[in-house]
Amino acid sequence: MLDKERKYFEAHRAEWLKTHPSKFVLVKDEELIGVFETQQEALVEGARRFGTDSFLVRQVEESEQIVYIPALTLGILRADSAHPA
Amino acid sequence: MPILHTQLRAQAKTPQGQVVEVPPAVVLQRQGPCVQVSIGLAQSIANQLLQQGKTLPKPVSGVALIDTGATSTCIDDAAAKELQLPVVNVVNVASASHASTPQNVYPIQVEVVGLPISIEAPNAIGAALAPQGLLALIGRDVLQHCTLFYNGITGEITLSI
Repeated sequence: MLDKERKYFEAHRAEWLKTHPSKFVLVKDEELIGVFETQQEALVEGARRFGTDSFLVRQVEESEQIVYIPALTLGILRADSAHPA
Repeated sequence: MPILHTQLRAQAKTPQGQVVEVPPAVVLQRQGPCVQVSIGLAQSIANQLLQQGKTLPKPVSGVALIDTGATSTCIDDAAAKELQLPVVNVVNVASASHASTPQNVYPIQVEVVGLPISIEAPNAIGAALAPQGLLALIGRDVLQHCTLFYNGITGEITLSI
């Protein structure tokens, strides 16, 4: 999902780090739609233009954020003790 | 300050087929701190779409597990599709066994049933939660607005916003 937008973001990340550091960019297909102070502003503008179609909103940072959800990644969701209660 | 206080309850069958109450402490240990939630499109986006005269899908209700280990809130992928949520980002979720995996991000609004306040989670991650009987995991992005008491001895949780 959002393959074109993510490639476009990566291709311009270095440039945007200089021009829009820490700002939120709104990207659709291979076009920069706008630059915003907050994520919410970018999301609202994305919804205004594209409705419920997908669009990319991402903060301009040096590295990509990694999310940790141990219950999912370790496969321990709803795990139970092997010992009876 | 709105407060949700709940003691978990469940029933089980003995080998003789008799239905008995399971102690709340055991239910909490086995199920984890679960709450009923209603999830819809993030309000800021929903308002924008309503202004355009669009009809929004009704929020989806289900069980959410409060997960203090999760960076972000997660929503069941099938529910995200049902709600016609736009994908607004893709993030890498760390994995213990292999390279991190890309997952869709959806902007959602979480209402905990029993609390009169909704919290926006603009970076909710899609995951296959329905097979676990869950609609969502409530992660630290939502919990940063809350106070949570986990009483393992009495099988009670208290959540306030």
